[in-house]
Amino acid sequence: MTSAAQFRFERAPSMPGSDATSRVVLGGLRGLIHRLWDVEATGLEHVPLNGPAIICPNHLSFCDSVFVPAVLPRRTWAIGKAEYMDSWKTKHLFPAMGMIPVDRSGGSKSMVALDAAAEVLDAGHLFLMYPEGTRSRSGNLHKGRTGAARLAMRCGAPIIPVGHSGTLEVQPPDQFKMTTGKKVTVNFGAPIHAADFGNPADPRVHRRMIDAVMFEIAKLSGQTYVNTYAGAKAEASDDVGTRPTAPDQTITVAPTRPAGRPKAMSPLIDLSNGGPSKTTAPTPPTRPRRLEGSAGD
Amino acid sequence: MTSSASNLASIIEHHPEHAIALIEGETSITFGELREQTAACRAALAALNVGPGSRIVLAAGNEVGFVVTALAALGLGAQVAPINPYSPAPEARRKLPPLNAELLVFGETAERLDDGGYDLPTISTGDLLAEGSAAGNPAPPPVAAVADDDVSFLLSTSGVSGVPKVAMLTHGGMAWVQQSLIGDGDQQLRPTDISLGVLPVAHILGLNIAVLATLRAGAAVVLQRRFDSQESLELIRRHGVTMVVGAPPMWHQWAAGAGAPESGTSDAMATVRFARSGAAALRPATVDRLERIYGVRVTQGYGLTETSAVVTTGRGADAPITSVGRALPDIALVLVDDNGAPVDVGDVGEVVIRTPGKFAGYLDDEVTTEMVLTDDGWFWTGDLGVLDDDGFLHLVDRVKNIVIVSGFNVYPAEVEDVILQFPGVRAAVVVGKAHGLTGETVSAHVAGDVNVDELDAWVRSQLSTYKCPTDYQWVDQVPQTPTGKTLRHGLRS
Repeated sequence: MTSAAQFRFERAPSMPGSDATSRVVLGGLRGLIHRLWDVEATGLEHVPLNGPAIICPNHLSFCDSVFVPAVLPRRTWAIGKAEYMDSWKTKHLFPAMGMIPVDRSGGSKSMVALDAAAEVLDAGHLFLMYPEGTRSRSGNLHKGRTGAARLAMRCGAPIIPVGHSGTLEVQPPDQFKMTTGKKVTVNFGAPIHAADFGNPADPRVHRRMIDAVMFEIAKLSGQTYVNTYAGAKAEASDDVGTRPTAPDQTITVAPTRPAGRPKAMSPLIDLSNGGPSKTTAPTPPTRPRRLEGSAGD
Repeated sequence: MTSSASNLASIIEHHPEHAIALIEGETSITFGELREQTAACRAALAALNVGPGSRIVLAAGNEVGFVVTALAALGLGAQVAPINPYSPAPEARRKLPPLNAELLVFGETAERLDDGGYDLPTISTGDLLAEGSAAGNPAPPPVAAVADDDVSFLLSTSGVSGVPKVAMLTHGGMAWVQQSLIGDGDQQLRPTDISLGVLPVAHILGLNIAVLATLRAGAAVVLQRRFDSQESLELIRRHGVTMVVGAPPMWHQWAAGAGAPESGTSDAMATVRFARSGAAALRPATVDRLERIYGVRVTQGYGLTETSAVVTTGRGADAPITSVGRALPDIALVLVDDNGAPVDVGDVGEVVIRTPGKFAGYLDDEVTTEMVLTDDGWFWTGDLGVLDDDGFLHLVDRVKNIVIVSGFNVYPAEVEDVILQFPGVRAAVVVGKAHGLTGETVSAHVAGDVNVDELDAWVRSQLSTYKCPTDYQWVDQVPQTPTGKTLRHGLRS
């Protein structure tokens, strides 16, 4: 069990939401959350009280961003849309909750977001990002994007896997209001260190690390893991824009998968929750690319 | 369009008469002599009715007779199917019918196979040359014109899948890879270079890179009939070899086998400027060790028989030690997911390429050909890789080797690598085993003298739980191809 009393409003002069108003807003908010909902946390001993760490929870509901920070003993930061700063409803609340506004209209938003995240970690703070990139509509735990692993390697920060349940009942998709009185459980796992996965210059290491993180999250949340990304490819992520993007290269003709060829990469596990179907017609490549110097023959 | 310049047989033309082309034992053969012998052999083959579209099986190893006979047959527009001269006679006999050849030629290395009882005419490389050189012969026929997509060599693929296939390679595809490999600038293969021809010529890397690309460059090939670590090192030193193309088992031997210094350094490879490894993954520790001993940095490349040998090379570039380099210019390479959609940078996907070096299909096997070669010109390699931000390819495993545990992909190569690091382990193969709860579990076949609990503790300290084997089976040895690929069929349950 945790309570707002154990919370420490750590000094972070370079970060948003560090003013006196934010302190009051955040304190009030945390108290309110613990009064309106039955929030339980386990494994909090895994969250370092000092120094950087990346908090990596599963993502089911918009209100995940309320409950996970609410049980942490320290402040945490995350990337949010700059548009929230335009609304009177959110422009004080969200920074107090640790939102770093990032303008997502720019060209290389993933780089901007990654740099912003690295700044938080380099300053020794907690940074929260959802490795699935967006909310899971299937209820399953989806494949993790490698951004968190890259960040962990770049900043030497451990990843804390987090699996929670109950937030979907508080705020189902497309519901604006949060239903009070529900129980939410947030489970923290042991830190996962980048150094255990090998040479960070080897790109295979990123996938190894994030898969290890997802495996722990699945254990903590009790979700079934499916080896596909959450959400449609074209769908913009609600959260951190740290997913890597393909280089600006094009192939003139995309490959067509030969008919009748076995697909060894399909998950064996049945997507009973109406997850994305793997039996649909081949999707045309949405992010074509090719290596430098390749001819468009 | 057809021309004699498109014929692979023409790679030995235009080089200086007295420049050395081949060295074998105490014999050196100049390009002039090689052209003469090849023309004579062409005459002898023509007299045996070998001509455009004919097919010969060439059971010869890394010997002068192989080069002469192969170039002579190609020069007549015929197709050449090299087979391993050291294979047991029954195995060689089994390979013959599907090749449907008109003539079987034995090299000196294939003496054992030349025991009569074949259903097709046979002759030795020595007799061919003698008959073609006999006085009073008519002038040998000129090098025949061929089209770029005419078939040149027929090569058996490694057959790691358990289903042997014969890839039909074209004159144009082979030539394109040779030219790409010759390269330019600092990295150019020059007439002054000397290559060690020790990889079997029945293997695409030995054939097209170590031997044919070298000859096209006007450089010399030192032929070594069978791999012997110490002998190779002596040949390299004695002839001042500048290019060594080897497979991982060879590099392992040069790093730690006969002839390698137990400690300290060696100048045996002092003249080597190109040290290349292909066919299977070479461990970074071996690369480091070789660099320490010989002062050469081995670069890894990647390719398949079906691509006339090379897709990526680590040459010249500051390729990370864990990568197989970048795609050759003019090769389009994408990593795709199950649906054929390109994956994000940093994600694992199947390597799909479009290369001028692509093969013409598998011999008499349209079904398998269509599974890998699509009408839009892409070749689906069946290999999984990751590209880093700089475009260097890192190989992960074969698509069909993936084991799926609770929805997570486990790549056996990664698990095997960890097991192999444990002292006392000689070999390891990891396969999937059906499991009611998790779909599959990881099962390890290990050769070596180790305590299973200690090994298991080591593996668990290195890998996520779901990647750890749930059972270990002890085997005497793990079957491998001579180039270092594991033969895993039969182990998967």
